[in-house]
Amino acid sequence: MANVSITSLCDQSAALARFSAQRFGVGGWHTDLAEMLEACRPDVVHILTPPATHESIARTCMAAGAHVIVEKPVALSNPEFQDTWKCACQHGVRLIENHNYRFNGPVAWLDQTIARGTIGRVEEVEVRMALRIRDGGRYADQNAPHPSHKLPAGVIHEFISHLCYLALQFFPTDPKSIRADWRNLGADKLFKYDDLDALVRFPTGTARLRFTCQHWPDEFSITARGTAGQAYAELFYPTCRLTRRRGGSQHLVPTLNSLSAARASLTSGIGGLWNKIAGRTAYEGLERFLQETYVALANGTEPPVTYSDMDRTSRLIDALLLPENQV
Amino acid sequence: MKLLVTGATGFLGRHVVAAAVERGHEVRALVRAGTRSLPDGWDGHSAIEVARGDLRNRANLPAVVGGIDCVIHLAASKAGDLYEQLGGTVIATENLLDAMVNLGVNNIVLTSSFAVYEYLHQMAWTRLDEGSALADEPGNRDEYCQTKLFQEQLVREYARANDWRLVVLRPGVVFGRENLWTARLGATIGDRWCIRIGSFAPLPLTYVENCADAVVRGAEYSGNEQELIVNIVDDHLPSQRTYLRSVRHHIGAGLRIVPLPWWIHRAIARLAWVTSEVAFKGRAKVPGVLVPSKIHARCKPRRYDNTRAKSQLGWNPRFTWREGVMRAIDTSTAPDTVPHSVRVTQPKSTMVATT
Repeated sequence: MANVSITSLCDQSAALARFSAQRFGVGGWHTDLAEMLEACRPDVVHILTPPATHESIARTCMAAGAHVIVEKPVALSNPEFQDTWKCACQHGVRLIENHNYRFNGPVAWLDQTIARGTIGRVEEVEVRMALRIRDGGRYADQNAPHPSHKLPAGVIHEFISHLCYLALQFFPTDPKSIRADWRNLGADKLFKYDDLDALVRFPTGTARLRFTCQHWPDEFSITARGTAGQAYAELFYPTCRLTRRRGGSQHLVPTLNSLSAARASLTSGIGGLWNKIAGRTAYEGLERFLQETYVALANGTEPPVTYSDMDRTSRLIDALLLPENQV
Repeated sequence: MKLLVTGATGFLGRHVVAAAVERGHEVRALVRAGTRSLPDGWDGHSAIEVARGDLRNRANLPAVVGGIDCVIHLAASKAGDLYEQLGGTVIATENLLDAMVNLGVNNIVLTSSFAVYEYLHQMAWTRLDEGSALADEPGNRDEYCQTKLFQEQLVREYARANDWRLVVLRPGVVFGRENLWTARLGATIGDRWCIRIGSFAPLPLTYVENCADAVVRGAEYSGNEQELIVNIVDDHLPSQRTYLRSVRHHIGAGLRIVPLPWWIHRAIARLAWVTSEVAFKGRAKVPGVLVPSKIHARCKPRRYDNTRAKSQLGWNPRFTWREGVMRAIDTSTAPDTVPHSVRVTQPKSTMVATT
């Protein structure tokens, strides 16, 4: 990005900080945050540490006069988020949570489809993430358990913000009722929860939030069902599919919609192959999010992820974890 | 000597423990907390003390490293993404080195790899020895190369700063019972097909028992060099074709081999690279087998020797590569069995959990 340069990296591990600085061509690295802030006086700090550390690091950075772009969640509860937000206001800096998937191409397509009224009034939204994190990798490591296992929602806390902010963008009001089924379907005690099935009822419709590590293939999808059709967007393997009410003979509508789905599958297959070759990943939205955020910071305008976006996401996560809302 | 062996239950580690005991050393074998079964003969062995822990967790390490004469550092991550390999190789090593500094342990043997060398910008058939150039663009190589290279750099810096005795062993391809296949042969497609990239390139093999012997001799090294680097390969190395012919039935029943000359594959990889540069500004993601820097590291014909290992460590490979293959496929023997006949003193009690 023009007018943006990375001045330093910070990690508790000197080796990792140095390795990362070399790899990304960053001039400096530190193992002490306060020392880095003092030495670099950055305009913006990106916080990419484990979730439980976000809040305290964000406060330190904001107190040093830096805007903060932080991985989700900003804090582990809404009261803590509110305190952190107040801290940002006191120091006259911005606090911005990374909602990168909202900026992915398929989500933008979904927004436009709904805004055009193509599927009518949206009454149901399902946000579904399937990740086989139990089969190996950092979350399944019994020898050095990942810090996210200690979060209120366990490992799912790493992903729940994505499900929540994506669902909330379709429902502007607060939920009426919530039923959340948190489960641990594995045989071991490493995971607190590895499965979530939640129904969130809003005055205008219902959102289903689903996280599973039992199913194959990996998937991150949003399905919006409306009064005149449904729209499906897949983020891991970018796909956009529309099934809608059509004019003319209603006998032909299923066939036309099937042909339309076949075309969407073909397009996404070719597009997926092209994306793979071109090195584009599901993080495509991150680049867009950061570009818009930096433009807003430079111009002093409202960032693309607002206080309301972050506050509603944080409140919904708290509500999903409330004992009275659990099945 | 009392040796700490990290990665002790791994493919090479089990043989290193057996070789160390055979040569009369006491061994503290570091195994992960989640390791359920230990190799045969370890349980109750007077020369083996099992320490459970993980190098990524600093809190474990004072008890693990305390009272050790020499650390044999084998533990590393070979699988997972860069983040996971950094944790298992670089951060784990950094924690171990910090514990050594704190506890005054000043002798370490690091098992590095041939992966740290440069291949793309070196001529085919040139000799690869300890003075050969290291990877000059590790970012274009795989995660294993990047993390092993950085690990080696880190250990050498600590050793120099703290005046330690350091022996860096760079084995070629360590083969044995669970590990007869090597990517230096080419690529497999499913269980039935193997594309052999090249035919006559020598394979830098070292049979696991030979390599384990070299590692223990590295711990015993008392020569003049404060920092000794040696490559470990066996004598009389086979070509890709000869080796694959002898192990094909043990790699996979009915394995079909498709030979692809090295120069043709090199040209294909070059074409893929040019296409990536021209059409995608170098950002195209192509399979590793089509990335020149990776495929040169795997299949480019080079020549290898073990003169330095022999002269500095007094090491001679006990088994030829053919004997190694025979021992690997003979399931009636267990080459990593710890000898019970060796008598050594009982390890001092430590805070470490023992089994």
